[in-house]
Amino acid sequence: MKKIIALLLAVMMLAGVLAACGGGSNNTTDTSKPAEGGDTKADVEDPFYGEDNISLLVWAADNAVNTTKTLCDNFIAKYPNKKITIDVQTQGEGDAAAQVLNDADKAADVFSFACDQINRLAKGKALAPVIPDFKDDVTSRNTEFAVSTATLNGELLAYPETGENGYYLVYDKAVVSDEQAKTLEGIFEACKAANKKFVIDAGNGFYSCMFIYTGGLKLDGLTEDGTQVFNAYDKEKVLDSLEAFANLFHQYSDIFMSADPARIGSGMAEDPSTVGAGIDGSWNAATVASVLGDNYGAAKLPTINIKGTDTQIISMNGSKLIGVNARSKFPEAAQLLANYLTDEEAETARLEELSWLPSNIKAAESDIVKKNPALSALSDQAQFSEPQINIADTFWSPVGTLGNKLFNTDKFDRATIESEFDKAISNVLDE
Amino acid sequence: MIKNYKVRRITSNIIIYILLGGLGLIWISPLVYLVLHSFRYEGLAYVTYLFPKQLSFKNYIDLFTVTADSSLNFPRWFLNTFIVAVFSCIISTLAVMMVSYAFSRLRFKARKPLINIGMILGMFPGFMTMIAIYYLLKAMGLLELPLVALVICYSAGAGLGYQISKGFFDTIPRALDEAATIDGATRNQIFWKIILPMSKPIIVYTVLTSFIGPWTDFILAKIIVGKDIPNYTVAIGLQMLIDSDHVLNNFKKFLAGSVVVAVPITTLFLFLQRYYVEGVTAGGVKG
Repeated sequence: MKKIIALLLAVMMLAGVLAACGGGSNNTTDTSKPAEGGDTKADVEDPFYGEDNISLLVWAADNAVNTTKTLCDNFIAKYPNKKITIDVQTQGEGDAAAQVLNDADKAADVFSFACDQINRLAKGKALAPVIPDFKDDVTSRNTEFAVSTATLNGELLAYPETGENGYYLVYDKAVVSDEQAKTLEGIFEACKAANKKFVIDAGNGFYSCMFIYTGGLKLDGLTEDGTQVFNAYDKEKVLDSLEAFANLFHQYSDIFMSADPARIGSGMAEDPSTVGAGIDGSWNAATVASVLGDNYGAAKLPTINIKGTDTQIISMNGSKLIGVNARSKFPEAAQLLANYLTDEEAETARLEELSWLPSNIKAAESDIVKKNPALSALSDQAQFSEPQINIADTFWSPVGTLGNKLFNTDKFDRATIESEFDKAISNVLDE
Repeated sequence: MIKNYKVRRITSNIIIYILLGGLGLIWISPLVYLVLHSFRYEGLAYVTYLFPKQLSFKNYIDLFTVTADSSLNFPRWFLNTFIVAVFSCIISTLAVMMVSYAFSRLRFKARKPLINIGMILGMFPGFMTMIAIYYLLKAMGLLELPLVALVICYSAGAGLGYQISKGFFDTIPRALDEAATIDGATRNQIFWKIILPMSKPIIVYTVLTSFIGPWTDFILAKIIVGKDIPNYTVAIGLQMLIDSDHVLNNFKKFLAGSVVVAVPITTLFLFLQRYYVEGVTAGGVKG
């Protein structure tokens, strides 16, 4: 008898678990309906399309939580006849996609994420696209670059939150003059004179892609099975670029250092400082600026002399986006909030409080951007950068290896570089 | 001849000690670096020299000072981990002891099959089931209480680790049990009053392993606690200090945190150390 009861209990528990899972999958079909219903614009008077008693969860980065909370309070105050509660939680932008895909039901309705995750989120059907009500406005109010980082296969999937999420040139004005900072050769020469390092994280695909981008190779989306597509590049030009970089790295082998970007700020903070300049991420800008004080120099990436012409270095650049969870219980309210969190006012607030470069064209023209060297540098560089979307998982490691090979080997003649380049490309294509 | 032997012995000893000394130096240098630089006052994340120029407790003070606008709350993480470790330590030690006692002393029909099942289940790597554990906990609504969920995860299957302590119990003469039975002791009384007091080494060993497990675990904790930053354990929290967004300002705090994390384990170990070696070897003896 006991055994039978035990067995029954076990079956019941299992059934309960299965039922709970089943309930979850039903939700998907339910929640997708109202989002589609938005197309009809049946009830234009009410931007919430009838949703009330709304409760939303918002994820923001560590340092942005307070600003986001204030903005959300303003949002609630804007609609006094609706009952809205918004909870803001901390979630790093770099980890957002993993957390959303891990368990979309427990994820935030509106979340901030770095644009390189957009492919994964789209593949997992975790993002609700920007609804038609806001689409034109979002496209016109943001920079072309920022919109391009939020667009996949012609569909606008998220709201641009910042105009950049990339890297720029930082230099110590006591070592490198503003004039010297315009060319890579000038920077190396200046650093050599002061015997200080110049740091690029050349073994990391995020940075080393500049060596091939500058030669004209660009990424052109993914095939359906996720293979990387390149543009019709001129291989000779790419090799010219790689060769120019390799020559400089070898010529100044005691000055050039390939290391984590955190090395730059650390080296500059040492007494006496050991680093003269570096290509650093925008997220370190505030700290490095406070270390260098009046000697803080920031600029767009320099030019490099390739076969006699000074060529602008092209970088990879991302953006931060705000996405709407496709499984949100209040899809219309979530869209409305995401739109509110990325309008001119909100981006200006983030610019003032966090020094984040706005993606909003008007907000980016603010004096704050012009007065802040890092922000102007990042804003300048955005014109010379490729969006960090549509990149195959196989891209990073081979391109990082190629970057490593440029300075790590004794042999760097054209034939060696060509074979390394071919190897990298075939590895990216996963042949 | 004797002199020659002496010379040979001395030279071989010198070579051996140099070799061992060198290996020891290699082994201990990361720890020395960690401790030294956790007291470093100057600089940001990295420095190019080995010995800090100025020592202070600033990193430790920073680590335990929580500013309102930051979610890096190390004291809270430390407390979380401590609570989880203490509770799972108590529960799993009890479970292991009881299971081992049953398998060692009681004779029942399913004993052999259960021992075998326990062995086989123990052979599957733990992280194979992690995703399943996540969804089970979610279905039970326990993800809202991640610390409770962690205690359950660490201690629920603990009984399966009975092998070593069963081996130890097997070495305790059954005559003691029989004598106690004649005096009127029940099985339960024998366990608490006869077997446990005689098993200090193996209890200590079980306590140590089941305390260190939750204290250092990363993967399972990361999956279960996920994005709930206030409920992080130290392992996930420390990793967060050195992600690319935080490393420049928080690397020194990370070093200090790594030293602080070692304190409870080391303290526990120092107190229980004299039993430890005995416990490890005792379980292996076949009686």
